[in-house]
Amino acid sequence: MLNNRLAVLKAQGELMQTLRSWFLERGYIEVQTPIMVPSAALEENLEALQVRETNLFLHTSPEFAMKKRLADGLCRIYQIAHCFRGEEIGRHHNTEFRMLEWYRVGASWWDIATETIDLIQTLYRKTGQEPPNFVWIPTTALLDPTLSPEEWFFRWVDRIEPNLPPAAIVYDYPHWQAALARKRHGLAERFEVFINGIELANAFDEEGSSNEIRTRWHQANTIRIQHQKPIHPIDESFLQAIDRMPRCSGIALGIDRLMMLLLRQESIHELL
Amino acid sequence: MKYQTSDFRNGLKVEIDGQPYIMVYFQFVKPGKGTAFTRTKLKNMISGNVLERTYRTGETLDAAPVEDREMMYMYDEGDFAVFMDNESFESVNVDLNAIKEERPFLTENLNVQVLFYKGNPVNIDLPNFIEDEIIFTEPAVKGNTATNATKPAELGCGAQVQVPLFVEQGERIKVDTRTKSYVSRVK
Repeated sequence: MLNNRLAVLKAQGELMQTLRSWFLERGYIEVQTPIMVPSAALEENLEALQVRETNLFLHTSPEFAMKKRLADGLCRIYQIAHCFRGEEIGRHHNTEFRMLEWYRVGASWWDIATETIDLIQTLYRKTGQEPPNFVWIPTTALLDPTLSPEEWFFRWVDRIEPNLPPAAIVYDYPHWQAALARKRHGLAERFEVFINGIELANAFDEEGSSNEIRTRWHQANTIRIQHQKPIHPIDESFLQAIDRMPRCSGIALGIDRLMMLLLRQESIHELL
Repeated sequence: MKYQTSDFRNGLKVEIDGQPYIMVYFQFVKPGKGTAFTRTKLKNMISGNVLERTYRTGETLDAAPVEDREMMYMYDEGDFAVFMDNESFESVNVDLNAIKEERPFLTENLNVQVLFYKGNPVNIDLPNFIEDEIIFTEPAVKGNTATNATKPAELGCGAQVQVPLFVEQGERIKVDTRTKSYVSRVK
């Protein structure tokens, strides 16, 4: 474990360089999208921060803006974005954190999983550590998909997540956890990445129908109204972009958490 | 009195099913697609057994009716550690099974908080720092200049801690009892 702040910051900077080279070698280009956006989220459990005296929010992820770039014709894009989520503070949470997202036209979620494993293993090798070997697990082997969302998540946090293998690609989520992923055979076409029981990344085979996304947005807002939370405004320009966006898959990876694991730190706050 | 999940912290004293517990670990967990939870580990003050519990945001825990009194550690007698009130000279026994984690850090004549639940002495709160002498550690290996290297050291009170290579047997050191780790040498 590096316990010298200077050494940690230098090592993090070098790993970021390795990461950028990894994307460059694979034909990805870096994009930078606005942080203040008209709508920051679709999901019912995300809390956006509104910018004072405006109708804008700080983005909870650069997903909407990056999909607009795909609709504009870019095919392989990545971004390291500062993101903001209210009501999230802990050892692995901070209101402001950094997300690495990348999207690839023509890729399935399986292709993105393969890339993610390669990227993580490359970074582990760079630090001189043995890279983790990933185990693939469908959630249906861990929990009954017909449980209520509340019970499913309670069991997940209480029993499943702490007992996952050291490195895991978890896939086949219940359909009600689809968010912006396609649905197939009653399941969501998405996966999550876990190292040492820490949720590191979330990926989708991206839903391409604006009507379907509009329906999910309304469903999420209905739940938010029931819980007396402000609704997430619907971003019409994003829905228009969805109809022009080619078939693609993409992933959002918590880069602070990955750096915490790579540099063997106690919390993400050492990296921020 | 009730504690919200946002009040959770290490050392919180709570009552569950008529038993007193002390929180020894807590972590905020929020699955990307789900709601927020707090994972905890709670140590039973009487038995010393550790319970793992997950709480949903919005759930509460009852505060335990625990009183504390500053007392001095005297010695062990059978299955008990004996503590004395510095003013009244009254002594009380605390079951060693309940303080397995704390016992190695009880240095001679150390003042601690003895916790009384329903009038009975059940557990203790250690001070955040203790000082004691190293009674055994290997000499540093010449030429090892790794800045983060440590070696095990045994203290007079019985605790084992990792110390930097330059620290030698016979020296007094300061230890953080919460992290069970070396802080500094004491002159």
